[in-house]
Amino acid sequence: MAKKSLDFAADKALARDFLKNFADAHGEPKYLKILQDVANRRVRSVQIELDDLFNYKDLDEEFLQRVTENTRRYMSIFSSVIDELIPLPTEALPADEDHDILMTQRSEDGMDSAENSDPLQRMPPEINRFFEVYIKAFSKGAPLTIRQVKAFHIGQLVKLSGIVTRCSDVKPLMQVAVYTCEDCGFEIYQEVTSRVFMPLFECPSKRCKLNKAKGNLILQLRASKFLKFQEAKIQELAEHVPKGHIPRSMTIHLRGELTRKVAPGDVVEFSGIFLPIPYFGFRAMRAGLVADTFLEAMSVTHFKKKYEEYELKGDEQEQIERLAEDGDIYNKLARSLAPEIFGHDDVKKALLLLLVGAPHRKLKDGMKIRGDLHICLMGDPGVAKSQLLKHIINVAPRGIYTTGKGSSGVGLTAAVQRDPVTNEMVLEGGALVLADMGICAIDEFDKMEESDKTAIHEVMEQQTVSIAKAGITTSLNARTAILAAANPAWGRYDLRRTPAENINLPPALLSRFDLLWLILDRADMDSDLELARHVVYVHQNLESPALGFAPLEPSVLRAYISAARRISPSVPRDLEEYVVTAYASIRQDEAKSNAPHSYTTIRTLLSILRISIALARLRFSETVAQSDVDEALRLMQMSKFSLYSDDRQRSGLDAISDIYSILRDEAARTNDADISYAHALNWISRKGYSEGQLKECLEEYAALNIWQIHPDTFDIRFIDA
Amino acid sequence: MVGLPYDCLSNPLGAVRVTFEKAVAGSPDFDPATFDRKDWGAVDVFRSFLFNDGGLSQVLVLEQSNLHLIRPNSLVRFRGMVQDMLGNELYIGAFKDGSTWRTNKFTDVAPVPISPASQTRLWERRLLYCVPVPGQNTWVSEVCPSTQFPTNLSNDHSLNYGEKRRREDNANMDFDKEGELSSLSPLEMVTRDVAFNSRISPLDAGSLSCLVKIYDMPENDIKLNDVIEFIGVYTFDPDVAVHDSNDADEFPYGLMEDISVHLPPSKVPRLHCLTFQKMSPQDLVSRSCFIEGLPSAVRVVRESLLRHLTAVLGNDGLAAQFILLHLLSRVRARVDVVVVGKLSVNLTGFTRESASIFGNELVRSIGDLLPFSQAIPLSVEYLNTTQLQPRKDNSTGRMIAGILQLAQGTHLTVDETRLDAGTLNAAGVENARLLRQLLEWQTVGYDCEYYKLDLASDVQVLVLSDRKSNVLPADVVLPFHPVEARSTVEAPGEEELRAWRWYLAAMRSLPLSIGSQMQKVIEDDFVASRQEDKTLKGEDLSRWVTMGQLMSASFGETQLSLEHWQMVKEMERLRRERLS
Repeated sequence: MAKKSLDFAADKALARDFLKNFADAHGEPKYLKILQDVANRRVRSVQIELDDLFNYKDLDEEFLQRVTENTRRYMSIFSSVIDELIPLPTEALPADEDHDILMTQRSEDGMDSAENSDPLQRMPPEINRFFEVYIKAFSKGAPLTIRQVKAFHIGQLVKLSGIVTRCSDVKPLMQVAVYTCEDCGFEIYQEVTSRVFMPLFECPSKRCKLNKAKGNLILQLRASKFLKFQEAKIQELAEHVPKGHIPRSMTIHLRGELTRKVAPGDVVEFSGIFLPIPYFGFRAMRAGLVADTFLEAMSVTHFKKKYEEYELKGDEQEQIERLAEDGDIYNKLARSLAPEIFGHDDVKKALLLLLVGAPHRKLKDGMKIRGDLHICLMGDPGVAKSQLLKHIINVAPRGIYTTGKGSSGVGLTAAVQRDPVTNEMVLEGGALVLADMGICAIDEFDKMEESDKTAIHEVMEQQTVSIAKAGITTSLNARTAILAAANPAWGRYDLRRTPAENINLPPALLSRFDLLWLILDRADMDSDLELARHVVYVHQNLESPALGFAPLEPSVLRAYISAARRISPSVPRDLEEYVVTAYASIRQDEAKSNAPHSYTTIRTLLSILRISIALARLRFSETVAQSDVDEALRLMQMSKFSLYSDDRQRSGLDAISDIYSILRDEAARTNDADISYAHALNWISRKGYSEGQLKECLEEYAALNIWQIHPDTFDIRFIDA
Repeated sequence: MVGLPYDCLSNPLGAVRVTFEKAVAGSPDFDPATFDRKDWGAVDVFRSFLFNDGGLSQVLVLEQSNLHLIRPNSLVRFRGMVQDMLGNELYIGAFKDGSTWRTNKFTDVAPVPISPASQTRLWERRLLYCVPVPGQNTWVSEVCPSTQFPTNLSNDHSLNYGEKRRREDNANMDFDKEGELSSLSPLEMVTRDVAFNSRISPLDAGSLSCLVKIYDMPENDIKLNDVIEFIGVYTFDPDVAVHDSNDADEFPYGLMEDISVHLPPSKVPRLHCLTFQKMSPQDLVSRSCFIEGLPSAVRVVRESLLRHLTAVLGNDGLAAQFILLHLLSRVRARVDVVVVGKLSVNLTGFTRESASIFGNELVRSIGDLLPFSQAIPLSVEYLNTTQLQPRKDNSTGRMIAGILQLAQGTHLTVDETRLDAGTLNAAGVENARLLRQLLEWQTVGYDCEYYKLDLASDVQVLVLSDRKSNVLPADVVLPFHPVEARSTVEAPGEEELRAWRWYLAAMRSLPLSIGSQMQKVIEDDFVASRQEDKTLKGEDLSRWVTMGQLMSASFGETQLSLEHWQMVKEMERLRRERLS
């Protein structure tokens, strides 16, 4: 034991050294500043962070380990060090409180009886302190789940996460009981360390003992010291519960400044000391050998829900950087969305861009331009639209899934309702308002209530919900990206009718979507065989066929997207011209065609910019590149083709000859007989053709001697030009 | 008796102690921390006693009927479903009594009082709350061979008998006489008797739940809703039991409730698990018929069972075929969003009258064939008032069982003919959603207050309805066409029933596969069919393959053959005919 106490003395010196000398990132003595604030009664809590201890140059790791493994002991060591270090207040303190009067009185008394060695009469340091010491666990490192906390963690500092299920009221907890003796008049102090204590009845002071007076003690509530105390219960998070198990709970004790920090339903991370609670009395007998446990909280952190506030954990930053260096990140991320849903690559790319979005712009004249992308998926029942929607909601940190019919009376937007208890009018936000700064997935978009249909126009462009009802006129923010899924007008897509007839949504609403996708359940031999193979494989091997790639975890996806969302890329001046030309050519194409089926408006131009910016964000680039614009144009073209692919076939041009005419036109426009392969690929992919088709076209027309193909670079040279 | 210094059956704690002392003696500078999370050999002793020396059949099965006859601290078995997991309990696992270490493992009470100053080691154990399997059919317990009482106990039912005997035992055993067992005060004797009497309350007669304490085993060995036979020490301590209610409010504030307050030991016995074995459906049916491995015998049983089912279904042979496959189905795997192997059936064309004739007969027959089965009369009132969803009550820390908390492999019949037009309240909507989720994904969402936890289940669902059920979308929808007006079934003989039960349990657990040649045939068949009928989907093919494999299994074969594939396609053709 002697050796141990020596250790503690040495550790006390270490602690003092640390508190005095630790300098934060700005080179200022962090803890001395806190202590000054404590002396000035501005703060009550002194939080000693293990991170700081770790970073402190003069400390050995063993000390750190001792602190984590015997935290309670070290809390008192730090407290006593602070007692010695605490500076004089630099500000005039507010008028003396009761406490101070008592303290002055006591210290005067203390002078008189300084020689008194009776431990019960000596004032315990706790009663003097107007600060609380907490030791905060490392911020790095994943928190434990409740079931990972085992018997060997007792007495240690642990960090764990969970959801708060219950909270008790805040109650006073006696820390030091103060008695006065009727006979000798001494104040007697009793430190209370557990929740229950045995009060003293006989005066233990020397004088009373000598006189055999058995002085009667009276508990002085006003002189005693109390702490705020609250109990809470946390439950494991759903993602931490192993399959086939049910969530565990743990009791948390919160003291002093940590009370009233949590409410039921909060997802929080606690660091604290895992302690057993001793039984007493009857209960001890009954419970036999069993000990209850609890966590004495040292710090509380609430989990963040928004992208912008998402904190990267541990190695995530590194992982993201590694991913960003990978050239193929766009494809990789897109394929990792709903990996169990087969194909639909372009749809997934579009959904990825929806998650990333573009920054909101506010112009000088106060006009706002939305940055959120809106996407509508349309298609036959059973093509996994709803699954895509739900998956996106899972990836988004803040997402709401709802159906057009809206399950509650509030519907999608907002409603004024009469509060049943107070009879007051209250404004209740619907799904769109709740998804502010997030994503709102609306299934069965076509079956929306008429009132919501009108309101959604405003939501999609102005991103607010206005209410003028029952004397309440207000507008609520609904800065949300809308992902809608709709069924065709007659339940199934009717190929004999025009797309416009099949989509039973008004053009005004449709034009607000940046991308509109039709997913059809087409029967063709190849895809049928593919499907059959998949099903049979699953039944035979009881696992899904290898995807050919390892999908990224949703958490990695979320981290990457949140990192990408911090960037707001700009469009360089020389690219503006390019975008404008592209837009103009789409408008011209539309004017030429006798049955225009797209509504290319100035909104389209904004869409192109939004998608391009989202693409630049994915590359962690501050400026939009031409390739981003090309990809944006390609996606828009693909989305159109998903609707009108039959048209193209009807126009009599097969893919190969169409590609030829595109290349021909481009060559004529630039007045150059040479076209580089990269350019060609660029142009045709904008129109929605694949590289394979381009190669086919190149070979076919080269055989006809219309052009020559460079054998290595595949560059094209027109022969007749 | 057999040269051992202890008797595993009547004094298991003695065995625990002896092995512990041996382990302590084995290492001179003994540190109990080395046993913090592992066994020192006690469990091995029991395993070899139970499984190698045939001790298992001598171990009593703890039941409501014999609870008052079993002496505390003896070795018992308990068979039940894990209904709730109460988390970890920390206890003083080892302590220093003077200079020797003693252990408290596998018991509730220390053999000698622990002085507050003595060195102690906190160990942990897991608490499981186990109940009789919901929907267990009566024949299961009759079939199980182990329920007979050893004659030496059953002849005397007086309460004092156990006491006397134990004291004699203790004397004979010559172990640790200062243990609490031999030093009962008269007062304790009285309270013990009181406790004994109060245990046989009519309230929970017949259903015995048990609090099982698990030591040192990997957490993932036991899952919720597993049907398990636990073998361990049955403890009952009067000191612990008496003060059940009178100190509930001793703790005036706090969320730190003690789970055992809600589970008084007088009603819920404690079992300190030494070892356990999971029960598969096969373990529950008698193995009296040894026709395994004989394809012809399997065929005979199949034919007779099919005849029986046809008779039950009013001579509707096709329905009987589908029901047979349905009874053989089980969830084999979950791949992404597909649940492989499930085959729920929706028999349509029932009216309320025919449902009461055929439906009841069918439910009864299924109850005779499968170990666990339940039936739900689906009415608006039922949906609105019944709690189907299991719910975690955070104020007591308990999982409150719902109807849908079922053991793996339970059969569920839903009679939808009783559904009228009506209004569902919030609970009703939730219940309907749960049933749908069970049918579509074979998962049940457990309500954990702040989130839902989807737990995988494996429940065969049979829906009886008037028209195709939209509330409960089953894999197979088959219009029911009985030839006879009522079931023409003769009561099957016990021997027949046994053969059928064995057949269903054994065939159901067969591993299934598809040869590469058959895979090609299936793929081509599907592509060809889809050329004709564009409405066919992946789900249809998935169902065909499932049925094909089950058909092979019904013949006791593990490889899907062309013949069975053709049979399934023919069944599907007939079904489609009925649908149109």
